Amino acid sequence: MNMMWIVISAAAVLSVAALATAWAQSKIGTAGAAALAEKPELAGTIIVLVAIPETMVILGFIVAVLIILRAGGG
Amino acid sequence: MAKVRVLGPKDRFDAALTAVQDFGQLELAEAPVHAGIERAQLTPRTQRRRAQLARVLADVEDSLRLLSANGSRPAAPHASVGDFAHWARLARRASRDAQRLRTREAALGEERALITRYRDFLSAVLPAVRKVAGSPRLTSHAVVVPREARPTVDALAGALRDQLGAEFTMTTHELAGGDLAILLVLPREFSDKLDARLAEARVPEVPLPAAYRGMPLEAAVPKMLARLVEIPAELEACAAERRAVAGRRGPDLRRARSAIEDWLAAARAEEQTATTRHAFTIEGWLPQRSVEAFTRRITATVGPAVLVETVAREDWGEDDAPVVLSNPRLFRPFEKLIALLPLPRYGTIDPTPFVAVFFPLIFGMMLGDVGYGLLLAGLALVVHARAKPGSLLRTAAEIAGPCAAFAVIFGVLYGEYFGDLGVRLLGVHPIIFDREKAVFAALAAAVGLGVVHVVLGLVLGAITSFRREPKHALGSGVSAVMVLLVVAALLAAFKVLPDRLFTPAVIALLVAFPVLVFAEGMIAPIELLATLGNVLSYARIMAIGTASVMLAVVANQMVGAIGSTVVGLIFALLFHLVNFAIGLFSPAIHALRLHYVEFFGKFYSPGGRPYQPFGHRVEPPVPVSTRKPS
Repeated sequence: MNMMWIVISAAAVLSVAALATAWAQSKIGTAGAAALAEKPELAGTIIVLVAIPETMVILGFIVAVLIILRAGGG
Repeated sequence: MAKVRVLGPKDRFDAALTAVQDFGQLELAEAPVHAGIERAQLTPRTQRRRAQLARVLADVEDSLRLLSANGSRPAAPHASVGDFAHWARLARRASRDAQRLRTREAALGEERALITRYRDFLSAVLPAVRKVAGSPRLTSHAVVVPREARPTVDALAGALRDQLGAEFTMTTHELAGGDLAILLVLPREFSDKLDARLAEARVPEVPLPAAYRGMPLEAAVPKMLARLVEIPAELEACAAERRAVAGRRGPDLRRARSAIEDWLAAARAEEQTATTRHAFTIEGWLPQRSVEAFTRRITATVGPAVLVETVAREDWGEDDAPVVLSNPRLFRPFEKLIALLPLPRYGTIDPTPFVAVFFPLIFGMMLGDVGYGLLLAGLALVVHARAKPGSLLRTAAEIAGPCAAFAVIFGVLYGEYFGDLGVRLLGVHPIIFDREKAVFAALAAAVGLGVVHVVLGLVLGAITSFRREPKHALGSGVSAVMVLLVVAALLAAFKVLPDRLFTPAVIALLVAFPVLVFAEGMIAPIELLATLGNVLSYARIMAIGTASVMLAVVANQMVGAIGSTVVGLIFALLFHLVNFAIGLFSPAIHALRLHYVEFFGKFYSPGGRPYQPFGHRVEPPVPVSTRKPS
């Protein structure tokens, strides 16, 4: 397969996943900061909530690596 | 936890309560009242003293805060009525002195801020002000125009110039924040009119410190500029006096605070006890292992007339008992990671030992570099040596130690010494796999650890709910087995395990499935899928690790790639520094998340009430597991 398309596919996977994570974290982070100002004891729960969407970008990264390696780009 | 009851004759009540407070491990519970047994009431005299001492304590705390002399909390001395009176006088005097010094410091600070804000403006207009002072026909006004009104200033100046003629001049100076300070010079006969116009337009005059208000500007400005030189010395003198007062009165005030807090705690405790006409009863919770020492102490201090009995386990519910995490010294710093979540319910598993093992392991697996690991170890040692015992920094250093050790171990296994520097300079090779190239091996190791961690979580969940919810315990157990079967089937399918294992694994899965549905209901298949998703989530260990090693490799390639070797070296060092900072933050957050979401989700049951023993408040606090109740 054309190397260019392999790289574009991997980049697309990673960027969409990163954008989705960033969007989700921006919403959760804003609400979390507001909640923390009123209830500092929620720190653990907020960390968890903010960290949850990161799974998307990490899985995106792995899929991107798999695309490159499986398609012979690595 | 054990629930104990202290019973004795009423005349031994004070001695018993003091002994309980000195022991410091009993969390008081409200003693039950029924016919003939009443809640203990404070006498009117004690109630009055409580109100007085609460006021004295407020004064003491106020003084300590204002004098910045909070310091440690020494053990409280046994106080007499005379001591309390002395401390009340001391608190009043200290509070008055502290207030006076703080007010003076605040006034000096405000004066300095005000003069600093207008310093450039005042320096710029001083010649014009002096000129005006020498002319009987002219007068000056210094005003401040807010940033939003600035566009109207030019039009206003034009209008005034047309009206007042050539004698009118205007000097402007932009202040920090965008406001405009303006000096208006105009014929004296128009002064009143301008005043009226400025008041109408709500344009304020340049605010001068109180001491210079009403003084002519030409006299005030040089004095104010001179004050800027004097104020720092006056502030330092105030701070020195505050330090001297803190040094002179701080120790007494801190002793007073401890003694008053103890007295007030004892008064609150008294209200939780119950009495009859001749006897008293005190009830409370303490760690099971301390019951014997508590009994010995009470009997020895108060006398054999006082009896300590353990309330039978059947007579109290788990939800009533407080919770305290008590771990060996090595694991104790990791309790802080648990403290970010609500406490676990009484009777469930304390996850600290598991966190103490898996958190550094996962962290080390992600960072996995000998160089970074040693840097982290050095940093942890420095912080540990400098931070106060019991402080957050000290705890962070104690957690960082094992994390650094695991980072070094995995660094050796991956053959990483500041990225590929070990391979390039020392010819060191990886022992298990090279993360830079063997992406699949790293992924398999990460997911493998995920299987172990999640299955452990499910097993702990089964153990936790075995007594209360046996059906749920069965569900957790079957889920654990099914996760292992899925892994076995996949490994057999990919011929990692013998492929003859595939069919038995699938059959076992089919048999386990109805059992899971029976135990957990129709939601079980979705939960099983979520559990498999949890396992895959551990792939982040590989993802973050790979990103870390790639950044380190890029940093190493900078030497020789950018201009001269020296420039490349500086860039490489900076890049390594950034990578090290990311390497501390990212693995810590993700290791925490893997625990909180993937691991704790399988067994952690929040809702515990923190254990708050009745005793003397001493700082830094002594952990429950190291208190010597003798």
